[in-house]
Amino acid sequence: MHKRNRIILDAGIATAVVALMGIMRGVYSNELMLFNFIMFLTLSQGLNIIYGFTGYLPFGYVGFYGAGAYGFSLVVMHLHVPAMVGMVAAGAAALVLGVILLPLLRLSGAYFAIASMAAAQAVYEIVANPDLESITKGPYGVSLSDVFAPATSYYVALAILAGTLLLVVWLRNSRFGMSLQAIRDDSVSAAMAGVSVVRGRTIAWLLSALIAGLVGGVFAWHISVFYPDTAFDLSVSIFSTVFLLFGGATTLSGPLLGVFILYGIYNIIGIAVPQYFQFTYGALIVLLVLFLPNGLVSLLTNRGIRVP
Amino acid sequence: MLTGAIVAGVVFGLYYTLVGLGLNLVFGVMRIVNLAHGDFLMLGGISAWFLFTSFGLNPFVSVGLVVVVFLLVGLPIYYLVVPRLLRSRDSEMLSLILFFGISQMIEAVTTIGLGATERSLPPRLLGVGPMVILGTRLPKAWIFSAAASAIAVLLVYLYLYRTRLGTLTRAVMVSRDEALATGIDVNFVSAVAFGISLALAGVAGVFAPFILGSITPNMGVAINITAFAVIVVGTLGNPLGTLLGGIIYGVSLMLMQTYLSSWANLLPNLLLIAVLLIRPEGILGRKTRRA
Amino acid sequence: MDSVVQHQVMRAAGIEAGYGRVQVLWGAGLDVKAKESVVLLGANGAGKTTLLKVIVGLLPAWKGSVQLDPDDVTTWRTDKRVRRGMAYMSEIGVFPGLSIDENLRVGGQFIERSALRIRMEELYAYFPDLAHRRGALAGSLSGGQRKMLGMAKALASSPRLLVMDEPSAGLSPLFVGQVIEVLGKFRESGLAMLIAEQNIAFLDLADRVFTLEGGRIRFEGSVAQLEADDSLHKAYFGLA
Repeated sequence: MHKRNRIILDAGIATAVVALMGIMRGVYSNELMLFNFIMFLTLSQGLNIIYGFTGYLPFGYVGFYGAGAYGFSLVVMHLHVPAMVGMVAAGAAALVLGVILLPLLRLSGAYFAIASMAAAQAVYEIVANPDLESITKGPYGVSLSDVFAPATSYYVALAILAGTLLLVVWLRNSRFGMSLQAIRDDSVSAAMAGVSVVRGRTIAWLLSALIAGLVGGVFAWHISVFYPDTAFDLSVSIFSTVFLLFGGATTLSGPLLGVFILYGIYNIIGIAVPQYFQFTYGALIVLLVLFLPNGLVSLLTNRGIRVP
Repeated sequence: MLTGAIVAGVVFGLYYTLVGLGLNLVFGVMRIVNLAHGDFLMLGGISAWFLFTSFGLNPFVSVGLVVVVFLLVGLPIYYLVVPRLLRSRDSEMLSLILFFGISQMIEAVTTIGLGATERSLPPRLLGVGPMVILGTRLPKAWIFSAAASAIAVLLVYLYLYRTRLGTLTRAVMVSRDEALATGIDVNFVSAVAFGISLALAGVAGVFAPFILGSITPNMGVAINITAFAVIVVGTLGNPLGTLLGGIIYGVSLMLMQTYLSSWANLLPNLLLIAVLLIRPEGILGRKTRRA
Repeated sequence: MDSVVQHQVMRAAGIEAGYGRVQVLWGAGLDVKAKESVVLLGANGAGKTTLLKVIVGLLPAWKGSVQLDPDDVTTWRTDKRVRRGMAYMSEIGVFPGLSIDENLRVGGQFIERSALRIRMEELYAYFPDLAHRRGALAGSLSGGQRKMLGMAKALASSPRLLVMDEPSAGLSPLFVGQVIEVLGKFRESGLAMLIAEQNIAFLDLADRVFTLEGGRIRFEGSVAQLEADDSLHKAYFGLA
């Protein structure tokens, strides 16, 4: 397939997904569920940028999401600024955390994953600390009824999804994205081929952090009342990881499929007893690692078929 | 107050050594991270709680049962997942994801079966009243939990350094390839190490209600971070280093709780990140790992 | 029973093997008879290590068979082959993190305790340098001493057949001479040996020579026959 056609196909898929989620809001009444879909579609692609293109898997990905949610809440609560300014703060908070955690990229695979999880826990412990109640409301949670705007925040979330999908399309088809994959596969040769390993990883890491921060911010905006336990819930990391791995990292359609299939099933049956799904997800992770470590799309890619 | 914090820190440190030891043994032998370690610990605690509430068994008795059962459960789990895992391209990373899945399964099953409530055991089971060490009054339950931990650690040491299978285990730790070339049944040695690791988690679980206060199905993640902090501080893959890591962790925790109590929960996370960044090879380690 | 078969310790025939999809061996085979020392000569990349790994069971054979008299061991794991009298000394050969004593005990893991103690004393008599430092870590030894320990470790199980991968690797010529001297003693004691080498100094030990090129056996015969063959002589002994 020509490169031009590949880009058109990728962009077409991205547009279709965004349009679908936009139309669904008019058709289907459970807005919160649709909103959650948008969140996980975005988060799993955000994780795709760091894991799929560089091989680093942050178990503590939720840390950026939580940082975004609190970045949004703090400026809205204390400075009484409009929600869109809060969104900027959400992105900034996640970026700052991303910069602080840049040294973690020196660690290899498993150590990086665990250190990032510890970092997310540490941020949670700080935010939820009763000593900081006057600033963060500690463990008692925040309420942002002043800026509550479910419709606007829904479309902002959709815009973030659109931006993220375009970013992934660009990464998959640009020199920069190719060089990132080269780093992932063999950082030594990539460095010798003149690819700046550190710069590439840093950019991917910060983009990934920014996306999670924006999603966290729009989550805070849309939901408007939440607790630190929700904003730093490790299941956010787990779900995004499972969706990504299930579908297949590095592709555009893999994580999308992962979310639509798994989160779809979760919503059809799972809400009442979440533990059944926790169990199923756990089992799915085990089976995926053992039998399909490259995800659903590898059924095709192993046969030499290119998957968008 | 300082002496008190340090004495209590050493007592807790012995317990945290036990918490990390099994994880480190598995890492040392198989180069994989058992991220379900904390959940097996939780299951040990649930077992002790169940055996006490249903049959009135004292934890000192339950611990024997837990060791045997967990050891035996470890063998099939090893053979089901680990050999296949070790054949994959990046087994260290994939092990993390895989055992994370197992951890989720254990947590879910426990919550479904028993509910999410906290469970505890009366401290008097391990003896009534305090004991005085260096002028510090500590509950007997703490002392006996620490003593049991110390015994478990000692037994692991004797296994590794005084038995034939233990020597083979250390040989596999040094080099899996050379062990295969020498004709060591690496899978069997690893399976036993995996079983011992689960048994250690189980023992730590039995005493968890007395040291940590209670058992909940979702405690695994926090325990894992703690255990990982302990073994990273004490050098990954070096079981003896775990003792050093455990004591350092225990003493820092007690100092935090004495002087900065509301921030004590931050400790394992920050300690882990700091050691990984500043001295990833651990305190005893030589620079051998890629980082 | 045919007398040739009776005296045969090990026979590998028609071996095809490789890594992933890359085939390295294309029908290679060789045999070692009782009390015989065989040198497998080949350049880097000829497939020597691969063939040895198939023989000791560290790599599966895609095709062909391995006999360890009297069994067909083609599908056996390494530990089972070691129990039946095969020992392998890899290029590394020792566990640097274990003491000398422990290395020997790991090598002789299948032997009964008291027999192992006797065996270890025999080996310490052969290698007096090691005997003085039983508690020292193998990692603290010099390159030459490590090779000695590697041999002692492989011999701890009293094997019928000792398989060695490049015992000269990483050694200065002085130490190579020492290794050959020690192996000469074991050869006299009647141990069957298979030595993969590219260093022709080891031909002094050889009752028979095989040469491996591009994953196939090119020559089989005595050292004298090898020297008589013009092209092989050039390939392995140089123009001199």
